[in-house]
Amino acid sequence: MSPLAFSDSLAALSAAPDECPSCHTVSHIARRLCLTCLLRAGAEETDNLESGEFERALDGVPMPDTNWRIGKYEILEEIGRGGMGVIYRARQRHSRRIVALKRILSYHADSQETLKRFRREAEAASSLDHPNILPIYEVDESDDGVPFFSMKFASGGSLHDVAPALRNDPREIVRLMAKVVRAVQYAHRQGILHRDLKPGNILLDGRGEPLVSDFGLAKWLDVSSDLTRTLTIFGTPGYIAPEQAVGRAAAITPAADVYSLGAILFDLLTGRPPFLGEHALAVIRQASEKTAPKLRSLGKGFDKDLETICARCLEREPTARYRSAADLAEDLERWLEGRPIIARPISPPVRLWRWSRRNPALAGSVAAALIIGGFAIGWQIQTRRLTRTVQEDILAARSVAVLPFLNLDTAQPDLEFAQSFANALRPKFAALGPARLNVVADSTVIIPSVGDLDNLRILNTRTGCQTVLWGTIRPFGSGWRVSARLSDVETGKSLFDCVKESLKPYPAREVAAATAQVLYDVLSDSHKAASAPADPALSDPAAHELLRAGDDLASHRTAVDIDRALACYQRAIELEPKSALARTSFVSETIARAQFGSGDSKLLDRATSLGREAVALSPQAAPTHRALAALFLYVRGDVAGAREESLRAVEVGTSGEGAALMGNVERARGRPDIALRWYSIAERWQGRPGGGVSAIGDAWAELAQDDRATEMYSRMAALHPELPEGWMGLCRLNLLEQNFSTARKFYQDNQKTYSQFPYTTQIAAQVEFFSRNFVEAEKLYRTMEQTDPGGGGSFYGAVDYESALGRIRLAAGDRTEALALLHRRLEVEKQPTQNSEMLYRLAAVESCLNEIAPALQYLRAAGDAGWVDYRSLALDPRFDSIRQDARFSRISEAMATRVASLRRRGQPLSDGQLTKTTNNER
Amino acid sequence: MGIQLTPFNHEAGKGPDFAALSLPHFCLEYIHAFPQLRPMLSNAAIDGAGEDDRFRTTRWSVVLLSADGMGDDEKAREALEHLCRNYWRPVVAFIAREGQPVQNAEDLAQEFFLQLLRRNFLQQATRERGRFRTLLRASVRNFLNDASSKTKSKKRGGDFEFVTWDEWKAEAPSQLSIPAEVLEGWSSEQVFDVRWAATVAERALRRLQDECEKRGRRRVFDVLSPYLTAERSDISNDALAQTLGVKSADVKNLLHRMRQRYRQLLRDEVAETVDAPEEVEDELRYLVKALAAGM
Repeated sequence: MSPLAFSDSLAALSAAPDECPSCHTVSHIARRLCLTCLLRAGAEETDNLESGEFERALDGVPMPDTNWRIGKYEILEEIGRGGMGVIYRARQRHSRRIVALKRILSYHADSQETLKRFRREAEAASSLDHPNILPIYEVDESDDGVPFFSMKFASGGSLHDVAPALRNDPREIVRLMAKVVRAVQYAHRQGILHRDLKPGNILLDGRGEPLVSDFGLAKWLDVSSDLTRTLTIFGTPGYIAPEQAVGRAAAITPAADVYSLGAILFDLLTGRPPFLGEHALAVIRQASEKTAPKLRSLGKGFDKDLETICARCLEREPTARYRSAADLAEDLERWLEGRPIIARPISPPVRLWRWSRRNPALAGSVAAALIIGGFAIGWQIQTRRLTRTVQEDILAARSVAVLPFLNLDTAQPDLEFAQSFANALRPKFAALGPARLNVVADSTVIIPSVGDLDNLRILNTRTGCQTVLWGTIRPFGSGWRVSARLSDVETGKSLFDCVKESLKPYPAREVAAATAQVLYDVLSDSHKAASAPADPALSDPAAHELLRAGDDLASHRTAVDIDRALACYQRAIELEPKSALARTSFVSETIARAQFGSGDSKLLDRATSLGREAVALSPQAAPTHRALAALFLYVRGDVAGAREESLRAVEVGTSGEGAALMGNVERARGRPDIALRWYSIAERWQGRPGGGVSAIGDAWAELAQDDRATEMYSRMAALHPELPEGWMGLCRLNLLEQNFSTARKFYQDNQKTYSQFPYTTQIAAQVEFFSRNFVEAEKLYRTMEQTDPGGGGSFYGAVDYESALGRIRLAAGDRTEALALLHRRLEVEKQPTQNSEMLYRLAAVESCLNEIAPALQYLRAAGDAGWVDYRSLALDPRFDSIRQDARFSRISEAMATRVASLRRRGQPLSDGQLTKTTNNER
Repeated sequence: MGIQLTPFNHEAGKGPDFAALSLPHFCLEYIHAFPQLRPMLSNAAIDGAGEDDRFRTTRWSVVLLSADGMGDDEKAREALEHLCRNYWRPVVAFIAREGQPVQNAEDLAQEFFLQLLRRNFLQQATRERGRFRTLLRASVRNFLNDASSKTKSKKRGGDFEFVTWDEWKAEAPSQLSIPAEVLEGWSSEQVFDVRWAATVAERALRRLQDECEKRGRRRVFDVLSPYLTAERSDISNDALAQTLGVKSADVKNLLHRMRQRYRQLLRDEVAETVDAPEEVEDELRYLVKALAAGM
C-alpha cells in the first residue's frame, strides 16, 4: 500500500483506529467529522430547509465575519498558526490563483524594527528560485502596515504527513531527500541558511515532489521560536543541530542545516528523530551530549551505507559532518545509483578528537600531536579554527547582556533601570579590563526563571553574550530593594547574586558601585563564583532519611499521615538544628494539614516560628520564603506578610511557583489586575502553558470580564478534564450572572464525576444558597460538614457552613439553632485582621445576627482591604438584613467602581500575553 | 475568594503541535481545463444552487436522457464533464489501489477521463443504466483491463489535459483519514466507494460553508460544523453561544437549521449522480454500508 496512500487523492493513513463513538466506524474527514454519520444524516427523516430559510437563520447571528481580505487576497481559511504568525489558504483576487499567505499576527506588529526585519527576510527568501524550493510570489503589506507574503500552495501536505506511508520505502525516501538536499545546497550558495529544517517544513506539491519552505523565515512562524515572548529556542528540538541549540548566532554554519537534513533522513527511515526526550530541553541536551544512535541499533534491515550517511550528518562536531550539502547530496545520489558512497564510518582520528573533547585538559596536546604527526591538512585548518574560537570564547566570556529588570510592585519589566545600571557599570568595568555590556532594549522581555537554559540560550543567540545580568526592583519601606543575578548562558549556572537595599530612589548607581568588582571577577574567572552551601540535613544520612520518610508520608494526603510526616521533620530538625530544609518541609505540611480542619493554634505558631528561622538560616533559598508566604496567605490570613515573603522569594529565585504565589497574593489584596500579570509571568517561567489557567480565569472573573474568564475556564476544562476547576469556574460565572438554571446544570452534570474533590460540593451548595433554594442548600452544607470539615469560608464567595446554615435556619424560623450556629461562628471569626476575606465573613455573620452597624463597618473594612467580589455580595442571602440600607449600596457600588478602574488598568499588558496563549490553543 | 491550596500543582497540558504546520484539506470543486466550461465558473449553477427542479434535471439524468436519444447532446456532455470533475478522486484512488504509484495513477486517470469524454460513453450508459458511480467504477476497471490504454498513458495525456492536478487539489483539498490496517483490507472497488462517499460529504459541506460565507457568517460554519453529527449531550450550547455571541437557545436552533440544510445539500449532491429522486436514499444507504464493510 505504501506511497499511494499518502496522496490526498486517496486518503491520509491514520496510525491508530479512531472509532466514532456513535457508529463505531473509523473513517473521518476534516474537523474529525465521522464520514458514516455525515452520510447517515442525509437519510434522516426531517424537513428540508431551503437556502433562503437557512440564510435568514444565519442573519440572526449578530457578528458578521471581518478581515477576510488581506491586500489583494481573499482569505479562504486559516491553515496554521504559530507564536508570531498565521498562515492562510487564500485566493488572489484577479488571477483567482490559490496561494498560501503568511503574516505576522497584528499584536506582534508593535515594533517597526520587527516589521522591517520580517520584510527583509521574506524578500531575501523570495529571491530563491529552485524547482524544489517553495516559491514566494509576493512580499507586501496589508492596509494596517503589517507585512505578509504569498507563496505557492502545496497541496500534497508535508513530509511529516507522508512519513508513515514512506516508512518502508528507503529508495523513495532517499530520492526525495536528495532533491531536498540539492535545494538546500542551492540556498546555501545564495548565502541563505534555513535554520529550521524538519519534516513539517518540507512540503509536497500535487505530484508528491518536495518543496522546501520557510528559508530563514521559520522563526517568524514557529511557535517554539517566539523570541521576545516565550524565550525559547530557534528551531525544532529533534532536528536542530546541537551548536544551534546552545549557541552563538555567528557560529551557525551550513553544517547546522546538514545536521537537520540528517535528522530528517533518520526520522523518515526509522519513524523517530535521532533523540527523544520528555521535553525540548532534554532532547537538546541529549543531542549535545550523546552520539546519535546508529540506524541499525533501531532495527535490523537498515542499509549500512544509509547508517553511515546519517551518522556523518549527525556528528556533534560541525566540522566532522559533511563539508557541505553538496557532499551529502552526492552521497545520496551515489546510493541511489548503487555506487559506493564517499563517507566512511567514523575513522580513528575522529574518535581521538572526540575523546579529547571529553577530556579538555588533554585537548591541547592532542591537537599538537595531530599537527606534529602530519595528519591531513584539514585537521590543521580545524585546529587553527579551534584556536581562534578559543580566543573568541575568552572575549565572549566577558560579555554581559543586561535584561530589563522586573518591577515586582507592578509585575512589569523596567528597561530604564537596566539602562541606568548598565551605564553605571560600564566605566567601572572599563577600569578593570576588557568587557562588553549590552542592554536588551526591549521592554517586552520578561526576565527568565532561574536555571532556564532554553531562555538564556535564546538571549545568547540574540545578543552574542556569554552571560546575562538580570534582576528585580521594588519600593521597600521608605527606600528601594534591588536584586541582581549574573548567569552563565551555557550552563544556566548562577555566577553571582545579591540583594541590596537603598534609601536612594532608583539606586542603579549605588548597586553598580557595590557590585562592579565582584561581577568583573566572576566574569574573568567563573570558578570564583560562590556556590550556595548545601543544607546540613542533606549531608546527614539520618536526617536525610527522615526528610524522605516525611515526604513519602505527606504524599498520602491524609491527616494522620501528615501528622506523622510533621513528626519526622521535627526529628530531622532536632538532628540538624541548622537545617532550613527540614523547617521548610514542616511549614509546607502544616499548610496541607490545615486543609483537614483549622488545626490547633500551637501547631500554627510553631510552623510560623520555624518558617521565620528557615528564612533567617537560608535567606537566599526561594522555597523557604515561599513556604512562609504560603503559610501566611493560606492559613494565617496575613496578606501583607505573605506579600513580603513572596516578593523575597522572587528576588532570590525567579520561578513559576513564586510568580503564581505572587498572583494569589495580589488577588488576596484586591489587585486581580496585577495578579494577571504575575500569572502570565508564571506561565513563562514554568516554560509551559496551561498550569494556572483557572487562576487566570478567577482573576478575570474578579474583574467582571466574564468573556475572558469563560475562555480561560473552557480552556482549563479542555486541558485538564481530570480537574473540576474548569466547569466549577463556568458554573460560578453563571451563578454570578444569575443564570441559576445553567449554573445548576453545570454542577448537576459534573459534580458526581468529580466526587473525589470534596470542594465541588461547595459550588453546588452555593448555587442553591444564592438562588435561595434553601432546602437543597441545607442538605448540601450538612453533607459537607461531614465530608469536608476543613472546607468552607475561603472558597469562592467566602461562605462558611455555619453562617450559611444559620441563615437558612433563620429563614425556617428556627431561631434557637440559628443563633447557636451564628454565635459559634462569630467566636471563630472575631479576631483582629486586615484580611479582606476574613473581614467579609465577619460582616456576613454580623449581618445574619442583625447587627447592622458592625456588619456595615466590617463590610466597608473588607472593601478597603481589597474585597472586590461585589457580585457575590449582591446575591448572598446572609447580607439580606442590610441590603436595603443606603450604606450597603454605597459600599457595593464602591467595589464595582474599583473593579471597573482595575479592569482599565489591568487590560493593556495582559492583552498581548494572554491572547497569545489562547490563540495557541486553537 | 477562590484561592485554592494547590493552584499550580497541575501537570501542564500540552497544546496542539504547531511544529508541523502542514497544509490543510478542505473541499471545493472547480473547473479549469475545459475552455467550454469556463463561462460556468461564475455561474452559480455550477454548484447546483438555484436549481429548483433539480430532480428532473440532475446531471446524471441529463446524461441518461441524451443516451436514450431524448436529450440535448451538448448539455449531456457538459453534465458528464462536470460529474467527472467532481468525482476524479475515486478514480485516482481506484487506480492507485490497483498497485500504481500516485503519479502513474494520476496520469492514467487523466487518460481515462479524456477517453471517457471522447468515446461514446453515453452508449454504454444506455446499455447499463444504473448510477453514475457504478458506471464510472465499472468503466475504470475496463479501462485498466485494456492493456493498450496502459501503454498509451506513458504519453501523459498529450497536449490536452482534462485535469490540472495542482490547481484542482489546491482548490479542493480533501482530508479523508482512514486507519492503515482498515484500508489494507479493502478492494479497489471498496476504496472507490469510500472515496466516493467522502467526496459526496465534502462537497455538501463545502456548499454549506459557501452559503455561510455568502452571508458573512463563515465563523458560524467554523464554530458549529464540528457538531453536525454530534449527539446533543456532547454539546455545550452555552460555550458555543458565548463564542458566537448569541443566546444559548439560538445555538440549538441554529445547529438544527444547519443540520437540516446540510441534509438537504447532501441529498442534492447525491441526486446529481442518480437517475431518480427515490434512489437518493438507497444510494446513501449503500455508501454507509460500504464504509462499514471490511472492519
